[in-house]
Amino acid sequence: MSVTHVTQETPENQEPEAIGRFSRHSFRAKFIAVVSAAVLFDLMLAGGVAIWNVQRLSKDATEKVETGLTDATEEYLRTYIDTTGLRTELLLDQVFSEVEALGASMQTLIDNHDTGAEIGLAVEGDPVLGDKLVYNKEAGWAQNSPGESVVSVWGYLLDDEGNPLPEVAEEIADSSAFNLIAPGMMKTGSPKLQLYYVGPKDKPIMRTTPYTEQAQTFDKLYPGHNEANFWDFFFPGVYEGWQDWLADPANRPVPRDIVGTAPYIDAITGAKIVSFFFPLWNAERTDVAGMTAVDITLDQLSSLVENVKIAETGFGFLSSSSGNILAVSEAGAKTLGLVSVGGEGQGVTGINRYLSQSEYPEVANMALPHDTGTVLETIHLGVEQHGGAEAREGYLVVLKELAPINLWDGEKIVAENLTLGFMVATDEIYAPLDEVRQELSDATQRIVSWQITALLFSLLVVTLAVYAISGRITKGLSELAGAARALQNKDYSVRVAIPTRDEVAAVGLAFNNMAEEISYHTENLENLVEERTRKLETANSEIVALNERLKSENLRLGAELDVAKRIQEMVLPRRSELEVIPQIEIAAFMEPADEVGGDYYDVLFDGDHIKVGIGDVTGHGLESGVLMLMVQSVARALQEQGDRDPVAFLDVLNRAVYKNITRTNSDKHLTLAFVDYENGKVTLSGQHEEVLIIRANGDTERIDTIDLGFPVGLEADILPFVATLDLAFGPEDVLILHTDGITEAENEKGEMFGLDRLSQSAHDNREKSAKGIAEAVITDVKSHIGNYKVFDDITLVVLKHR
Amino acid sequence: MEISTNDYRVWTEGSAIHYEGTMRLSGTDAYAPILEIMHAVLEAKPEVITLDLTGLEFLNSSGINLLAKFTIEIRKQPDVGVRVLGSKSIPWQSKSLRNLQRLHPALELTIS
Repeated sequence: MSVTHVTQETPENQEPEAIGRFSRHSFRAKFIAVVSAAVLFDLMLAGGVAIWNVQRLSKDATEKVETGLTDATEEYLRTYIDTTGLRTELLLDQVFSEVEALGASMQTLIDNHDTGAEIGLAVEGDPVLGDKLVYNKEAGWAQNSPGESVVSVWGYLLDDEGNPLPEVAEEIADSSAFNLIAPGMMKTGSPKLQLYYVGPKDKPIMRTTPYTEQAQTFDKLYPGHNEANFWDFFFPGVYEGWQDWLADPANRPVPRDIVGTAPYIDAITGAKIVSFFFPLWNAERTDVAGMTAVDITLDQLSSLVENVKIAETGFGFLSSSSGNILAVSEAGAKTLGLVSVGGEGQGVTGINRYLSQSEYPEVANMALPHDTGTVLETIHLGVEQHGGAEAREGYLVVLKELAPINLWDGEKIVAENLTLGFMVATDEIYAPLDEVRQELSDATQRIVSWQITALLFSLLVVTLAVYAISGRITKGLSELAGAARALQNKDYSVRVAIPTRDEVAAVGLAFNNMAEEISYHTENLENLVEERTRKLETANSEIVALNERLKSENLRLGAELDVAKRIQEMVLPRRSELEVIPQIEIAAFMEPADEVGGDYYDVLFDGDHIKVGIGDVTGHGLESGVLMLMVQSVARALQEQGDRDPVAFLDVLNRAVYKNITRTNSDKHLTLAFVDYENGKVTLSGQHEEVLIIRANGDTERIDTIDLGFPVGLEADILPFVATLDLAFGPEDVLILHTDGITEAENEKGEMFGLDRLSQSAHDNREKSAKGIAEAVITDVKSHIGNYKVFDDITLVVLKHR
Repeated sequence: MEISTNDYRVWTEGSAIHYEGTMRLSGTDAYAPILEIMHAVLEAKPEVITLDLTGLEFLNSSGINLLAKFTIEIRKQPDVGVRVLGSKSIPWQSKSLRNLQRLHPALELTIS
């Protein structure tokens, strides 16, 4: 049982500090702190996770929308540019078709010369359709008067009178069907500036519809044209190119007969135009037979390109493969930073706005695509701001190469790919994306703000609730603390009222009971002390009485033991008796286990006869002692009677003892043996432990006495069992008698001392006197036992022949 | 029936009484419960009572007295045979058990 000792101190030192309701040491404060911390942690965690998720969601959504919008925008731009490209090609194709149709009609007339000639004559004969050539002698050319169309015949095709040379006149007649076909075509189909026809190189008359004063205009703009061949003057290389085609159609850069020109300012109308030529062949297909051609204003292409509207200010443009911008709005041209330069055209005046000459290096370095794919790239252009500082604005540029056409570059015919381009400020095109981004960001901000507000609000509500509830929960404890303080100040009347039914209430109830008890005990202390004193006095007197009784009982028992001990000591032979024995030196040792032992030994000496007895009564104590006394008395009586026969001696002794034992109703008996010495001889009789004889020469003999007798007091007649054994016993021979207390003495390990050790010990000490041997053996036995328990009486008798 | 302590154990199996351990009881009174067991076996008057002492390492003089007294009691009942089993390796047995046979010559003693 463990007892906690509380150091007693003066009560003043133990006075507990009164803890205020809102002290940070108060239970309530701790309670609020713990609960609030738990709630705060929970809210922070939940809120943090929510905010993190919202922000991640917002980020993901922004990315998705961004990708989606970017893809959609790009897809839109690709589709748009594809569509615009198709429309551009369609527009050109329509123009091409019309010039091809005119050309095909004229070719039919050439191929069917006779019919053509007849149709020519018929047309020439017509008052309206027929050509009425008027020779302008001053200018040196002939030209018809105004009508649906005009035909000009250059000076080198006229004779001195101003009449066309005969083959020229024939050519005029043959091609007059133009007047029949071209005006109609001019008025229908796609908008065209003019349709015209030029004859073969040796008679290049020129027919044009609608009617213009073309020869006069040429004279003004292209002096010297009336002396040089038309083809070589205006379109050097075209005619020869076609002749090449005739030799091998594979020479065509693009497998279509149409050949375009670069844009130029039309000499007659002053408009920016493009011409498309369609070659005619002679009937034999051995040479070129002139051409039909159409002029269209760039406005048509421009309007198509300029109609491209992307976002706010996004625009389209059309570029030649050399980067010359053929069509673009003015705003677009400005955005691209284009600079117009006057073309140095021979015959026609070009207009050039090259990308490579843009004021922006990014535009100038922009590579045009050279396959049919659509290229989409973002460039940043430096734009001058109001303050003069340069800001870089991003543009999305989409480029698409159109189907190739044949182009006369002023010297020869080459393949040309026009490129359609779109350009739009990224700010504009991605404006919806920015809006979405902004809205998502705003939404996230809103959610986060609300979340934080909700968290703070929850915290406030929980804290208020905890504060309110904690008051109720800790009320009992506060009251208990107050009551305990009052109790310490010796106010034993204090009681706590606790309305709850929890553990605190249980403590309160226990407190009340204790307070009640303390109060009771304090108030009744004197009565109690008196009562207790009375009780103690009564108990004390009882104890004293009992003690007296015990003392007398002890005295009685002690007296009994004293008597027994005295009896035993009285009957043992005295040392003085032993010392007078002449022949034999005898030493004895006896130590009872209890106060009174059960061992017996005696030495009876009557002059020349020595009788030594040894025995062991079962048990110890007074009864055993008395039995031993009986045996001693009977033995002494028999010895005195002079009975020298050891067998009769034992028989009589047994009978006497047996009868006494029967009378006293005792159930004890004893082992008993005698050693008789006379004239250098010992006679053993009776049953006991083995007898040891150590001869003078050191030989050791062990004599078993089992067959020499029987336990005494057990049977009425032991005569049949009693026998004697005679042994020589000469000078210096040693005879050892012992009880089993010696051989059965145990040490701590439970090992018995045993006969061997006894024998060895006696042997080792045989040179000593009988007393010396006895002391040595007992020392060995004691050292064997050590601190272990002595179970039995120890008796040792040593006889040594003098 | 069985009596068992830290030092010894005595128990019966039919008409056989087995002893085991070290018996060093202080006197007749202390041996009374063991004698009671032995009497109970004798009262059933079996043909042969077997006293198996082969496991009894030590028996003090009071114990030997008990065996002697019991042998005398059996001797009074000629119908009841008795067989004592002992062990040569235990010193006190070869010495004391022969006395039992002397008390009651019909006692069959086997010391193996």
